[in-house]
Amino acid sequence: MTADYINICLADDDEDDRLFFTDAFDELKINTRVSTFNDGVELMDYLNHSDSVLPNVLFLDLNMPKKNGVECLLEIKKNERLNDIAIAIYSTSSSEEHIEETFINGANIYIKKPSDFENLKKILSEVVTINWQYHTSGLNKDNFLMRL
Amino acid sequence: MKYIPLHKSPLFLKIIFIVSVAIIFFIGGITFKHITVLKKSSAWVSNSYEVNIELECLISYIKDAETGQRGYLLSKDESFLTPYNNSKKLVKQSFKRVSILTANSRTQQSNLKKLLYFINKKQNYLSKTLYLHELGMYDEKTFKNNLIIEKKTMDSIRLKIEDMISTQKTLLQNRQQDYEATMNYTPLLIYLTLIVTLILITIAFIKMNRDLVLLRKTINTLSVANEANNLAEIVGGFGSWHLNLETNQYTFSDNEYRLIGCDPQSFEATRATFLKFVHPDDLEFVKQNTSNILNDNDLPPFTYRIIRKDNEIRYFRSLGRIVNIASGNKTFIGTTSDVTEEVYAKNLVEERNRELESSNKELTAFNYIASHDLQEPLRKIEIFMSRLVSKDYANLSPAGQQYVASIQSSANRMRVLIKDLLHFSRINKAEKIFEEADLNYLLETAKHELAPTIEEKKALIESNELPTLNVIPFQIQQLFINLISNSLKYSKENSSPTIKINCEMIDAHEAEILPDNNIKYYKITFKDNGIGFEQEYATKIFILFNRLHNKNEYQGTGIGLAICQKIVENHKGFIVAKGELNVGSTFTVYLPAE
Repeated sequence: MTADYINICLADDDEDDRLFFTDAFDELKINTRVSTFNDGVELMDYLNHSDSVLPNVLFLDLNMPKKNGVECLLEIKKNERLNDIAIAIYSTSSSEEHIEETFINGANIYIKKPSDFENLKKILSEVVTINWQYHTSGLNKDNFLMRL
Repeated sequence: MKYIPLHKSPLFLKIIFIVSVAIIFFIGGITFKHITVLKKSSAWVSNSYEVNIELECLISYIKDAETGQRGYLLSKDESFLTPYNNSKKLVKQSFKRVSILTANSRTQQSNLKKLLYFINKKQNYLSKTLYLHELGMYDEKTFKNNLIIEKKTMDSIRLKIEDMISTQKTLLQNRQQDYEATMNYTPLLIYLTLIVTLILITIAFIKMNRDLVLLRKTINTLSVANEANNLAEIVGGFGSWHLNLETNQYTFSDNEYRLIGCDPQSFEATRATFLKFVHPDDLEFVKQNTSNILNDNDLPPFTYRIIRKDNEIRYFRSLGRIVNIASGNKTFIGTTSDVTEEVYAKNLVEERNRELESSNKELTAFNYIASHDLQEPLRKIEIFMSRLVSKDYANLSPAGQQYVASIQSSANRMRVLIKDLLHFSRINKAEKIFEEADLNYLLETAKHELAPTIEEKKALIESNELPTLNVIPFQIQQLFINLISNSLKYSKENSSPTIKINCEMIDAHEAEILPDNNIKYYKITFKDNGIGFEQEYATKIFILFNRLHNKNEYQGTGIGLAICQKIVENHKGFIVAKGELNVGSTFTVYLPAE
């Protein structure tokens, strides 16, 4: 892993959302490398492979077939090698239960998928440039949900 | 019912019986003693007579001896000497008899001794005179002297005997007096004790009679109570049983038999015969529950199934406990009731509850669909539109650009609709946690939330002091937000909106809409100077999706006021609207003060 670019992963079963995601990073002039996965199983296979490059930030959709976002989150937090990865929940839902559950299980931030492309770009650039060390130490339930 | 006098009287009657028997024995004893005394007394009388006769005999024998001696002295006839010679033996015999007869009297014995002396003296002189006469060698003087002594001695004897007779008489008299004294007071004693016995027996009789009357009354009351109980058992569908703890015998009431479909008292009442009717699946359970009743003194209620004689399955509930009955014995009393209908009704309610629960779950699932699945495609439409606008807007024809704007506005409208709908269902679903909250604070946060709009419209919101109430805080805040934003939304275009919030406490009967009771309510009014509405729509506006205006004129989903109504209902309150077209509208919220 070189320090030249930021490594980003996204696990989302929705093809359109994956497209918006990669398009947004293409348009943002940030030096990033984005890998996408179609579901939780694919993501975990990649992460558990000892040769794979671990992402700096992992975006997790909640509602996925085979293995959903919460299951992935639990698995990652249990794994010593993986539990330092910053995890951003990336979901359509903004229900209290989902926010609460992922917060308790150790996610770093909760992003509600925006309905405007410009908004999406803004959010993503913000998330990617967060100083995670600083953010994690001051994490509480109020700043967990990302607001712009 | 009074039982106490009844079960105490046997003791009383026993005491009376014992006392009576003792008295009768006493009287018997006294009578026996008296008869003995009487017998003795007559013995004394005859003894006295015998003594007297014997004494007379004695003196006559001595006289015979004297007469014989005198006759011989005068006539020299030997035949006169026979009584004289006989008299010695007869006197001795007679004296002995007297001595025996008077053996128990010391006075008489001493008298007898003196008498014996005189008799001996007399006899000596008689024989001495006779002897001198035989010899013929006595002078006239001596002879005469002897005769004088004889006479004197004879007098002494006579005196002594008279004395003895009189002594005997006195003795008899004394004894007679003693006897009479005894005889005098005993009849009185017997009479008195008899009277006492009679009184006691009379009291016992009265007591027994009274007990009998009481007993008859009690039996009467009991049989009425019994009949009433039987009737109650039939009407109430329950039976009773009791277990005599001394004899270990069960008794079942008539209805207990009817409950299991049998004729009353048609079989012997035992635990085993009853258990035969219990449903095989519940048998162990029933056995377990009833095995310990004697130790626990209590049978807590439990429900089980039985199979009636006609094979119908019924649900029974039994319970019982030890009671102390009047006689001081303990009895275990239990009741059995047929609770089949109750159990069925309960099952029905449970089933309904399950149905409700499942339909609630369906609603939750619907909610999830609304919150997630419906928003998903909408978001896609919006994001693609935003991409289209940012990338290819310039390439579109003016008509195309118009269409894009319309699509965007429709999508936006749908987003608001979904959001409001979700809000509405969450008001229903969310946990209703009531806590003390200052309504002034809630109003301030509501105003804070609406600050941009308030500022934009230059609105003026006035309010007086609001109370602190036990409410669901976020809901009341939502209520305030919805009411204020409603007023802001329907404000007149050319004047700045004014909202006056007023609060006062009223009695329930002061407002028509409130129930007719004594509860106090807070009446909170929101009065604005907006476009108002016609009064005929005053109730319609609270119905979900109901709007009075075209959506092009005023933005809105028709959900806001429906949410208000829901919130107020959650707080057991009421909300009414009053409107006047082009003047303004007033929303009044009533919240219970307690």
